[in-house]
Amino acid sequence: MFKNYIKVAFRTLNKNRVYATINILGLALGLTVTILVFLFIKDETSYEKHWDGYERIYRTGIKADMMGQKMNAPVSCSPMANAFRTEFTDVETATRVQTINQEILMRHEQNKVYIQKGARVDSTFFKVFDYEFIHGNADAALKETNAIVLTEESARKLFGDKNALGEIVNYDNRQDYVVRGVVKDPKGHAHFQFDMFLADHQYQNIWMNNGWYTYVKLKEDASFDAFKAEMTRNFMKKIEPDVERFLKITAEEFFAQGNAFEYQLQPLKDIHLHSKMDFEIKQNGDIIYIYVFIGIALLVILIAGINFMNLSTARSGKRAKEVGVRKVSGASRKMLITQFLTESVIQSFIALFLAFILVELFLPGFNNIMETNITLFNDYLGKTVLFALLVTLVYGLFAGSYPAFFLSAFQPISVLKGDLTKTKGGALLRKALVIIQFTASTILIIGMIIIFKQISFLHNKDIGFKGDQVIVVPLQTDPMTENFRNYKDIFLKNSNVLSVTRASYYPGDNPNQSMFALEGREEQLPLWNMEVDYDFFKTLDIELLEGRKFEIEKESDSIPYFILNETAVKNLNIENAVGRRLGRYTGNDGSLQYGNIIGIVKDFHIEGFNQPIRPMILTIEKNVWFASFKIAKNDMNATIDYIETEWNKLEPTHPFRYTFLDQKFGALLRQQENFGTMFLFLTILAIIISAMGLYGLASYTAEQRTKEIGIRKVLGASVSQIMNMLTKDFIKLVLVANIFAWPITYLLAKNWLSNFSYQIDMPLLPYVFATLLALIIALITVSFQAYQSANSDPVDALKYE
Amino acid sequence: MIKLNKLTKVYRTDEIESTALNEVSFEINQGEFVSIMGPSGCGKSTLLNILGMLDKPENGSYKFLGNEVGHLNEKGRSDVRKKNIGFIFQNFNLIDELTVFENVELPLLYNKVPASERKQRVNELIEKIGIGHRANHFPQQLSGGQQQRVAVARALITKPPLILADEPTGNLDSSHGNEVMELMCELHEAGTTIVMVTHSSHDASYSGRIINLLDGQIVSEKRNKLSSAAV
Repeated sequence: MFKNYIKVAFRTLNKNRVYATINILGLALGLTVTILVFLFIKDETSYEKHWDGYERIYRTGIKADMMGQKMNAPVSCSPMANAFRTEFTDVETATRVQTINQEILMRHEQNKVYIQKGARVDSTFFKVFDYEFIHGNADAALKETNAIVLTEESARKLFGDKNALGEIVNYDNRQDYVVRGVVKDPKGHAHFQFDMFLADHQYQNIWMNNGWYTYVKLKEDASFDAFKAEMTRNFMKKIEPDVERFLKITAEEFFAQGNAFEYQLQPLKDIHLHSKMDFEIKQNGDIIYIYVFIGIALLVILIAGINFMNLSTARSGKRAKEVGVRKVSGASRKMLITQFLTESVIQSFIALFLAFILVELFLPGFNNIMETNITLFNDYLGKTVLFALLVTLVYGLFAGSYPAFFLSAFQPISVLKGDLTKTKGGALLRKALVIIQFTASTILIIGMIIIFKQISFLHNKDIGFKGDQVIVVPLQTDPMTENFRNYKDIFLKNSNVLSVTRASYYPGDNPNQSMFALEGREEQLPLWNMEVDYDFFKTLDIELLEGRKFEIEKESDSIPYFILNETAVKNLNIENAVGRRLGRYTGNDGSLQYGNIIGIVKDFHIEGFNQPIRPMILTIEKNVWFASFKIAKNDMNATIDYIETEWNKLEPTHPFRYTFLDQKFGALLRQQENFGTMFLFLTILAIIISAMGLYGLASYTAEQRTKEIGIRKVLGASVSQIMNMLTKDFIKLVLVANIFAWPITYLLAKNWLSNFSYQIDMPLLPYVFATLLALIIALITVSFQAYQSANSDPVDALKYE
Repeated sequence: MIKLNKLTKVYRTDEIESTALNEVSFEINQGEFVSIMGPSGCGKSTLLNILGMLDKPENGSYKFLGNEVGHLNEKGRSDVRKKNIGFIFQNFNLIDELTVFENVELPLLYNKVPASERKQRVNELIEKIGIGHRANHFPQQLSGGQQQRVAVARALITKPPLILADEPTGNLDSSHGNEVMELMCELHEAGTTIVMVTHSSHDASYSGRIINLLDGQIVSEKRNKLSSAAV
C-alpha cells in the first residue's frame, strides 16, 4: 500500500513539474535558510562550553555612576583575583588577565615574528581555562616571573618544528622570556583569543584602578547567590579606603551624593551573546541577530509552506477525480489522508536533500559575510541532520495536512459526476494565505530598507574626524618614541606627507579613563583621556571650537595642558572652560598636577555608534606610541613606500606595519554591515519564494478560467481587459497584506533601532517603497501568466473542456 | 439481494427543492442483470449512486443482503461497498498516474490483499479480458474500449457479488460498446448481479429486466426473455 502511495506521489510530481518545482524549490530554499540559521545559532551558542566547569566560571565587572559618568565594564582591579583565591571559601580558583592591545614583535635568535594577541596572566590562568598542553603543564607553566606560554601556532612561527620548551624568546626588544608551555588552541570559541600568555607576578594594591579582567571559578557545591553577597560585602569594604584617598570623601558621603558603584558577576557562557559593555576584550556577538535570524527562518518556511498549501488546494479539482475513484475502490478517508501526507512528506524530503546541497554551497559565502567559520560536517552533524529531519517532517505533515483533509473529504459522487463546485472556503483560505505570505515578504522588504538606511546613516554620520588619508603606525622601541618629534621632518620632506602626529590610541581602539578634578572643586571626575602629540587635530581634521590647539612654541613638558571635547565641557558643567585649571591625578599618593584648559574641540567618535560620545580630555605628551601620517590622495602607495623606507632606517629592528584609520574605525561598524548584508540575501530569497508561489497560483487561476477567458474573448474582450481581470484580485491581496505589514514592521524596526545611540528617524519612504515593490513583483509574476492566457486562441480555450 | 422500499431522495439548493427519487420500491435478486432506463434527469444516476452507497437516501429503506444500509455513515458504507460492490463508469474514471495493472490492483490494495496474490489475480483477470499485453501502459495510451475494459476489470477484481454500471458504453463507439456489453454478459453468466444505467435500448436488451424511470418514479418494468438476446 505504502509503495503505491510513493509511486503515485512521484508520478504526480512528474506530471505537474511546475507545481512540484515551486513546492520543492521553495521548501528547499526555506530549509536551507533554516539549516544555516541552525548552524549559526549552534555556533554562536557554543561559546565557552568547551572549558571544563564553564558553568562555574564568572567574569567580574563594575557598574558605576559617578559624578554623572556612567560606566558599565567587565573590568576589575589588580588585587581582586588574589582576594578571591585567599579570602573566599566558595572559590576554586581565580585569575587575572591583562590584554596587550597591540601586536608584539617576538624574536628567537634571528627569527622575528609579530604576535597578534597577547595577554599577561596570573599563574592560575590555566587552572580556570583548561587549555590542552602539548608541552609543559598547567600547574607549573607560569610559576616563574619570566615564563611565557605559546599557542601551538605561535610556537611554530617562532621555533618551526623544534620543541620550544625551555627556549628563550625576546619580547619586543625589552625582555627575555622562557617558554614553559605550548598549548593547543581551545577546542571551541571563546570571547577572547590569545596567541601567547606572559606570566604576570606584579600586583598593585589599588581597588579603584580597573585595568584587568578577573575570572573566578567557583567550587562545584558553591552557592552563587551566597558567593555574590559575600563578594559584595567583602569588596565594598576594600574599596572604602581608596574612595577616601582619591575622592577625598568617605564611602557614605560618596553614596549620599547620589553616586553608585557595584561589582557584578557575569556567567562566562553569557558573555558572547549578552555582553555589550565598555572595554570588552573583543566585539561580542549579539543575541538580537539570533532572534532576527530565527524570525526570518520562520517567515521563509511559512512562505514556502503557504505555497505548498495553496497550490495543492488550488489543484484539488484536478485530483478530485482520483479521490473519487479511490473512494469508490474502497479507500477510507484515513487511507487517503495518509496518501496525501505521504506525498507532501516525500516532496519535503526531496527538498531536504536539495537543501543540504544548497547549505554546503552557501556556507562559504555565509561564513564570509558573517565572519564565522561554520562547517556542515562538524561534531554536531548528527544533531543538524536530526533537526533538519524534524523540521522537514513537521513541515511535510503541516503543509500537507490541509490539502490532505480537504481532498479526502470530497464526496465521491459529486467529484465523479464532475460537478465539483469550486469550493468557496478553499478560495477564501488561499486568499488569506497569500495575504499572510505577502505580509511576511513586505515586512522583510521594509525591514531590509530600514536596516540599510540605518547603516548608511551611521556610515555617513559626522564622526568628527577624517580617517581615509591617515595611516597609523605603531612605534615599537623606546628610543624611537623619545626621539620621534625630531624625526617628523624626515617624513615631511615628502610633500605628499601632509602631517605627522602621534596619539596613545585612535578611533576604533578601546579608550582609557582617568580621574581629574577642577581646581576649587573637591571631587574627582572620570574623563576619557587621550595623550597626543602636536598636529593631532590637523592630522585627523578635528575641528577646534574655542581656544587654541597644542602649539610647540607655547608649551613646556613639565606642565600639563588640556583640551576638552564638547561633551566633557557639558559634563563638567563649567562655563568659560578655556582658561580654567584642571588637576590630573598623578600617582599612587593621590596628588594632583594642575594645568590649563587651553581649548575645546568638537566631539569625535572613538567607539562604535552603540556608545554615546565620552567626555574626553586630550593632553600633550612626548612619549606616545602610535604615530599617524596624513598623506595626499594622489600616489598613496608611493607615499607609503617612502614612509616605510625612512621608517626602516630609523627603526631597523621592527618591520614597518600600518593600518588605515578609516578601516580601523570602520571595523566597529562591520558587525552591523554584515548583519545587513545577510538580511538582504535572506529577504531576496523570501521574495523569490513568494513570487514563485504567486506565479503558481496565478497560473492555476488562469488555467481554471481558460474557458471563461475564451468566452470573453469571443465576446470581444481585449488582451489588456483580460489581463486586468486576472491580475486585479492578486493586487488587492497584496495591498491588504501591506496594511498588516506596516504596523508590524514599524514595531519591529523601532525595537531594533533602539539598540543604537544614534538612530534614523523612522522614515515613511521604505513603507511606500516596499508596497510598490511588492506590487511590482506581484504584477510581473501574475501578468506573465495572465498575458499567456489572454493571448491564447479562444478556440483552444473553448475546446479545453 | 437488494430491497428498496419507498425510497426518496430530495436535492435542495437555497430556494429550490427537487425530488430526484419519489418512493421508489423494487427488489433485485442475486444473479439478476437489471437495466435502469429513462430520460436525462429522471433520477436513474441518483438511484445507482444510492444503490452503490455513494449517496444517502432521504427517506425509505434500503436493505442490502438483508441489512438496512440506507442510513449508515460514510465509514460503514465504505466497508460494505468495498467488499460487495464494483463500479463501472461512463467516463471510465481511471487514475491517470497509475498503469493498467495498478488501476486494476487498487481495490485489492484497499482490501489489504497480500502482494503475491494481488499480482496473480490482476494478471489473470486482465489476461482474461484481453488487456494483458497493456498491463504497463497508462490509461491515456489506450483506446476508449480498452480503458473501459480496464475499468471493468477494476470493478471485478475483488469478485464483488454486485456490479453497478453507469452508462458503461456511453463514451464508446458501437463496436467497442459491444465488446464491453459482451463482457458484462459473461460476468452475468458467471453469476454476478449487475445493475446498469443506460440510455441505449440496445444495451438494455442484453439484460434480463428493464426498469423505466420518469421523474423519480418507476413507470414500467419489463422482463427480457433471453438474457443475451441481442446480436
